[in-house]
Amino acid sequence: MKKQFLIACMVLLSFTTIPFISQAQTIKISGEVSTPLTVDAAYLQKFTQTTVVRKDRDGKDHTYSGVILSEILKGAGVTLGPELKGENLTKYLLVEASDGYQVIFALAELDKSFTDRAIILADKVDGAPLATADGPYRIIVQDEKKPARCIKQVTAMQVHFVK
Amino acid sequence: MNHPKHNPLLNRLRKGRVMFLLLIFVIVSGWCYVDSSIETGPYNLVYPTNFGNRVNIPADNPTTKQGVYLGRMLFYETKLSSNNKLSCSSCHQQDKAFTDGRAFSPGVDGILTPRNSMSLVNLLWARKFFWDGRASGLEEQAMTPLTSPHEMGQSLTTSAQKLTQATNYPTLFKLVYGDEKITGDRIVKAISQFERTLISANSRYDQYLRGAYQPTPDELKGMELFNTMPHPEKGIRGANCSHCHGGPKTYMELFHNNGLDSLPKDSGMEILTRLPADRGRFKVPTLRNIAFTAPYMHDGRFKTLEEVVDHYSEHIEQSASLSSFLQGESNEPGGKSLKLLPVEKKQLIAFLNMLTDSAFITNPAFSDPHLLSTKNKKH
Ligand code: HEC
Ligand code: HEC
Repeated sequence: MKKQFLIACMVLLSFTTIPFISQAQTIKISGEVSTPLTVDAAYLQKFTQTTVVRKDRDGKDHTYSGVILSEILKGAGVTLGPELKGENLTKYLLVEASDGYQVIFALAELDKSFTDRAIILADKVDGAPLATADGPYRIIVQDEKKPARCIKQVTAMQVHFVK
Repeated sequence: MNHPKHNPLLNRLRKGRVMFLLLIFVIVSGWCYVDSSIETGPYNLVYPTNFGNRVNIPADNPTTKQGVYLGRMLFYETKLSSNNKLSCSSCHQQDKAFTDGRAFSPGVDGILTPRNSMSLVNLLWARKFFWDGRASGLEEQAMTPLTSPHEMGQSLTTSAQKLTQATNYPTLFKLVYGDEKITGDRIVKAISQFERTLISANSRYDQYLRGAYQPTPDELKGMELFNTMPHPEKGIRGANCSHCHGGPKTYMELFHNNGLDSLPKDSGMEILTRLPADRGRFKVPTLRNIAFTAPYMHDGRFKTLEEVVDHYSEHIEQSASLSSFLQGESNEPGGKSLKLLPVEKKQLIAFLNMLTDSAFITNPAFSDPHLLSTKNKKH
């Protein structure tokens, strides 16, 4: 009897704890790509790390580090570099955050042969991981005056043609 | 009308009697077909241009006048519940901007819903539904309250059977879908069509935006606070509500933790995603008709707008998942909450009352159609 009660308790307990096994945030890359990707921390480590300095709301400069966005997109087979011409110039990247916020970049804004401005997917600020409410991944747009496209808590990126 | 006596054919031929019966049959069935007062054709969804055209209508459920008519009948139809007592309108009442005035709502079994009933307005632009955004369309959303044992508690198959046996529904479904078949899919599609017409665009705020209303000084000051980010170092005072509740619709489809608890009882979106960053995160609800939709928040914890404003002004609870838009947002240097002055709270509430659209909550096109028809004919 006692044993059954114990087992019942354990079963119940295991149910209640299920929702609290935490997961790690990843980023899904989909749409007009040749290889849909799920980006996680380990995947990002394979790329060269780049830093971008940006002023935050506190008015102070902060050093963000991460990976050039176009490098990640190339890994998914997005038409960048020599392929970015003709109708491919009507493609855009839609970035979505966990709070539902969305921003877009024209592919040409991300391409090195069009611009030197760096747009990175950052996972660190001043050498430390981003705060929970900002991270784990945030887009940092070099020199853009408004921070509105420095989208926090990125969860998905999709490449689309304009209709 | 053709009277058989004046028809020489009928007088001459014995077959004429058959034709006569046939004619009567056609006339009668045509009359039964549907109440001729029901308009048909595409439904014209009218809204101001500043609402934008990013509307959400699935390709397989275009909005038609007859579909909206049927959807409205179904929205108020108690046959869709297992005890024939509940309809969507039990928890979504027009005079309360389609909420029900309760913190939690009883279903057919008397058990309360775990979250607060949500106002149904300007859903045409929404893409994620429920407090945690778990339903990705109105059609999908409607299945939950219909079938949940603690809400209307009836399978879609049973609902379809009950409607098939009702006098008026088969002909109505034929008018909308081309044949009399009644299915769960057709039920939720029609309800969704009706919900898409619930457009509110005539509050004093809308009127102000189109240059047709001059706000009072308190309303103007409240609007400014609503839209301004506080900057105590620069002497700029604000309440920064528009960061989450902004735009002409006062709805932006965002999901945030607005600092109600540091250890939430209901952990919101985290239950779905298991991400610690989603703890206590809920849909940022529309503020349209906010004066009518008390009690407030996902658990109905606040009874008045004064309590809501006090929350943002004094009681933001810190946690790792607190929205970054509310971290360190204050009118006092180093403050953790907004710290508004009593007069500013009053002004903010004056602005919130500007979002009341009385025409919406009294619009006869959204009211219970069964009340009208029972007055005229018996069922
Ligand atoms: C027993 C009360 C109850 C009934 C009956 C009910 N609802 Fe709801 N409704 C709720 C509650 C509570 C929520 C929020 C639930 C949640 O987020 O988990 C809700 C949420 C919604 C939403 C989401 C709104 C948004 O902005 O995300 C829609 C749409 C909706 N209901 C439509 C309907 C329709 C259509 C029906 C009838 C088929 C219906 N409801 C019947 C209580 C009810
Ligand atoms: C960080 C985003 C954010 C900001 C900024 C914000 N809110 Fe909210 N608001 C929310 C969320 C999220 C909810 C729902 C929270 C819940 O129920 O758990 C909410 C709920 C409300 C509600 C209750 C709505 C309902 O139907 O129950 C009111 C009223 C409200 N907010 C007013 C304001 C005012 C006024 C301000 C400015 C002082 C403000 N909010 C600032 C995110 C925000």
